[in-house]
Amino acid sequence: MSVMEEKDVMSGGSSIPFGRLLAVEARKLLDTRGSKIMILILVVLVIAAIVGRGFFSGPEFHRLVGTAGIGYGTLLPALGILTVTSEWSQRTALTTFTLEPRRWRVLAAKCVPPLVVAVVASGFAVLVAASATAVVAGVQGVGADWEVEPSALLGWAGGNVLLMGVGLALGMLFLNAPAAIVVFLSAPMLANIVHGLGSAGKELVEWIDLNTAAGVLASGELSGGDAARLAVTAVLWIAVPMAIGVARVVRREVS
Amino acid sequence: MKAAPCSGEVILVIEFRHVSKTYKDTKALDDVSFTVEPGSVTGFLGPNGAGKSTAMRILVGLSRATTGTATVFGRPYMSLDCPGAHVGTLLDATAQHSGRSGREVLTLGAMTLGLPRSRVDEVQEMVGLTRKESARTVGRYSLGMKQRLGIGHALLGSPRVLVLDEPVNGLDPQGIRWMRELLRGLADAGCSVLLSSHLLHEVEQIADHVVMIGQGRILAQGSVTGFERGLEQAFFELTAATDRGAA
Repeated sequence: MSVMEEKDVMSGGSSIPFGRLLAVEARKLLDTRGSKIMILILVVLVIAAIVGRGFFSGPEFHRLVGTAGIGYGTLLPALGILTVTSEWSQRTALTTFTLEPRRWRVLAAKCVPPLVVAVVASGFAVLVAASATAVVAGVQGVGADWEVEPSALLGWAGGNVLLMGVGLALGMLFLNAPAAIVVFLSAPMLANIVHGLGSAGKELVEWIDLNTAAGVLASGELSGGDAARLAVTAVLWIAVPMAIGVARVVRREVS
Repeated sequence: MKAAPCSGEVILVIEFRHVSKTYKDTKALDDVSFTVEPGSVTGFLGPNGAGKSTAMRILVGLSRATTGTATVFGRPYMSLDCPGAHVGTLLDATAQHSGRSGREVLTLGAMTLGLPRSRVDEVQEMVGLTRKESARTVGRYSLGMKQRLGIGHALLGSPRVLVLDEPVNGLDPQGIRWMRELLRGLADAGCSVLLSSHLLHEVEQIADHVVMIGQGRILAQGSVTGFERGLEQAFFELTAATDRGAA
């Protein structure tokens, strides 16, 4: 076999299909001890919070769904952050990027499963909240309040997906879980400070604050101005850090 | 899939051409040129910090050469289709997720390369990891077990080239003997191996060619038996000039 033939064998168009990378990254989300524990905590916490609140404040379906969001608001982004940063903290990037040197493909594959998790987690919370509403109404002998706009539920789920996106983006930007988590957690405090700076500050927060954006989504009513503010927030918290992060990962020396 | 992975005749397996790598003010590699011949085990020998790992990372695209090129089968690693199917790499056996089982590590590799799960059983057997051991998390592995796991991972795609950084580190004498026989068998089947080590005697026992590196520069290369006053003498004479202690 000549060198030329050898080259042909090696460029037979058999590059790794994206679906395969996707399956591998989805599996990585659940195949370590830490990730299993984290998912378990998430499930237990959501059930406990929803059921507990149901018994204390009555069988109101919409309110109970929102209860899950309190835990999701920090745990889902943390899952997104860890998904990305564990490749670096555990140094598995060494093998991952040796098998697929086109690193952006790995990163793209890495983003999809957590976003699906955000959707599934939202659906799960709705199911738990519905069950809790029915059970609490039955046990306490009071009428259940099922009043909710479907668009509000969809918007709420969208907010969870948005926050997961932020987690992934910050994970890529910092490639370090503690730094990304600190930035994510201190953002609302910064927003509060800006909010206190008079009317201009209040106006600014509407354009840059994640909680404001998630709140607008969860209200189920999106005006033109809301959509513009939401888009700016998403660009600021997802598109920009992700673009910088991808550029950084692609150039970075892996050792 | 058969365990004997290596076949076919190739002219250029690995080639470094005038590769230099500069980090800020230090020169990690300085005009490094050498080749790995088909079916040979080439030992990449040098003291700690000589640039062995840097050169290997550049070869597989994890790091970029400042100048010069490193190629596999005449092409940059990055441009190979599914490079893991052609080149088996073990750069650092400790770089594994401590909470993942050994079997899971192999399974992820096999999935990425599109191999059947039966291949995981095959390589587990090749590297001597029992079912019980492979079910444990890597955090509980000894360094020797991590090396075996890493070799197994490198062998998954039945590659024709192996790039191994310090693979005998942490192996006991039986392990070193096992490694020697494994690599010999693979080389005899046509596989080419580049392995680095700072351990003279291991290289002497395993390799048929040697490339000596010190402070980023190639000091000598040739057949293991070709050094007039023995490999050890040559090594100490050549590295003396670049020895940290002597400097």
